[in-house]
Amino acid sequence: MSTPDEVTLKLSSSMLRHGSELPLHARETVFSLDDVSVFYGDYEAIRNVTLPIGKNEITAFIGPSGCGKSTLLRSFNRMNDLIPGARVQGTVAYHGTDIYGPDVDPIEVRRRVGMVFQKPNVFPKSIYENVAYGPKVNGIKGNYDDLVEECLTRAALWNEVKDDLKKSAYALSGGQQQRLVIARCIAVRPDVILMDEPCASLDPIATAKIEDLMGELAKDYTIVIVTHNMQQAARVSDRTAFFTAELDDNGIRHGRLVEFGPTRELFSSPSDKRTEDYISGRFG
Amino acid sequence: MSTINPDATALTAAANSLRRSKPHYGERVIRGLLLLAAVVSVLTTFGIVISLLIPSIEFFTEIPIGDFLFGTTWTPLFMNGEFGVLPLVSGTLVITGIAIIVAIPLGLGSAIYLSEYASLRVRKVLKPTLEVLAGIPTVVFGFFALEFLTQLVLVKIFPGIEVFNALSAGIIMGIMIIPTIASLSEDAMAAVPSGLRDGAYALGSTKRQTAMKVVIPAALSGIVAAFVLGISRAIGETMIVTIAAGLQPQLTLNPLQGMQTMTSYIAAAGSGDLATGSIEYKSIFAVGLLLFILTFIMNVFSIRLVRRFRQVYQ
Ligand SMILES: Nc1ncnc2c1ncn2[C@@H]1O[C@H](COP(=O)(O)OP(=O)(O)O)[C@@H](O)[C@H]1O
Ligand SMILES: [Mg+2]
Repeated sequence: MSTPDEVTLKLSSSMLRHGSELPLHARETVFSLDDVSVFYGDYEAIRNVTLPIGKNEITAFIGPSGCGKSTLLRSFNRMNDLIPGARVQGTVAYHGTDIYGPDVDPIEVRRRVGMVFQKPNVFPKSIYENVAYGPKVNGIKGNYDDLVEECLTRAALWNEVKDDLKKSAYALSGGQQQRLVIARCIAVRPDVILMDEPCASLDPIATAKIEDLMGELAKDYTIVIVTHNMQQAARVSDRTAFFTAELDDNGIRHGRLVEFGPTRELFSSPSDKRTEDYISGRFG
Repeated sequence: MSTINPDATALTAAANSLRRSKPHYGERVIRGLLLLAAVVSVLTTFGIVISLLIPSIEFFTEIPIGDFLFGTTWTPLFMNGEFGVLPLVSGTLVITGIAIIVAIPLGLGSAIYLSEYASLRVRKVLKPTLEVLAGIPTVVFGFFALEFLTQLVLVKIFPGIEVFNALSAGIIMGIMIIPTIASLSEDAMAAVPSGLRDGAYALGSTKRQTAMKVVIPAALSGIVAAFVLGISRAIGETMIVTIAAGLQPQLTLNPLQGMQTMTSYIAAAGSGDLATGSIEYKSIFAVGLLLFILTFIMNVFSIRLVRRFRQVYQ
């Protein structure tokens, strides 16, 4: 008698990431969003989000498709600037500085706030050149050998590729490519790493590797991850923000932040009915 | 051993239902037509080679091949004319070289601008406009080179320039192939997945770095193919050189002088009234064969090059 896999989320505390049990107010905040809305032309994709991101924490964004998680994430490193018509309202403060302020160079922002995408977007270059790319364009001179080794080691990829550094990055598997992208990202020595569904195109084994890696990386970096996978959010994150898309009075959908809190609390005792429905699989 | 025997009749029934119920005639007709199309183009190529080859072989029974390939004087219409093809080869190379110098920076520059910098609105206007250039008949380009470029512009810069000169022909030929290079390179760059650009920007790249270090390398095989096609068009181009470069076969690298290319010799000699079977007549085919071989070698070489740089996106 086998029942099909149900989306039942039985959370044991062992599934939760331990280590950062500090209340948020006791931590330094890296990002502080105040009343942030993001528009595509006239369309307000996500509205009025107020949210802090704690240093060396992993913050997960969860919620149904289309509720604006990626949109909000891209406002953290001004990637929205690259989309014609996209506009951010409100304040996105990074260590107290509004990154949309008049004197801020988006390129400087992106050097400090790295990003890993859903599809591993390795460059059509060698493994070595992929890692060295960021330091090169950012004008860091010298020999990159040590840096490449260090970053690949930190991304848990060194042992698999150390003899093939000159090989095309396309020869790697999807999971290896995604770790290469992470290595490439940390080579510019960012402070924050944004990850937009980094495991969406990976198999469970590769996913597990990336998840382990995230735990390691959180010791030195602040991580914000968008994920479709609630178990993943529960496993890896310290804090979770749950978003949903709701119709306004004119019948237009906008993404909203419903609930934000320590992951353990949000999953075990959600304060909002919508969160509860979503995490128990009754919605989305 | 076998304890479970599948029901034999059920199996037969299932197999029957998989059998084709009626022949797919439409499929066969289409296949036949497509095969015919392929055969026609292959046969045509063969026909061309053979029709070049036969008079050429006759030509080489009279003129030693070494004299042809390495001779430095081309005077086929003189009494006791000489058939050293090097002046025509050098004319072709000099004019094509000038065209490349003009067309590659401008063509690639336009492609980078269109693909990476221009707004959607600008691109929508600019790309078709550029492609109109490709539709201008080459004879018009030829007169433009002679009447406008040489007489109004180049004489002011180079007072000693000849009326018929390689420079004007090369420049205009370059302009003629810009749309080919720009349009195909732009297609190749537009085909680069946007995820690669996002990846580059997210690492703190500027627009220029993204274009130069990520997009162009990723599109390189398409860009090289665009160059090759443009250069092939330049080498094979006849009208512009016939009109603007004059018909003097001279072994020189000085672009201010008149020159004759392989193509313009063929055009000029072919349109004259040479007796069929005369040595001058056969020389047209020998030059044509050489042109064919040179273009062929270039294409093979560049296909190799493209393969080497080819990058497959996932
Ligand atoms: N480049 C864009 N232009 C216009 N609308 C967009 C763009 N990207 C996303 N959207 C819209 O914004 C909303 C939020 O999208 P997104 O942030 O991708 O959601 P999520 O990541 O939560 O699935 C969706 O309605 C989507 O259609
Ligand atoms: Mg998304």
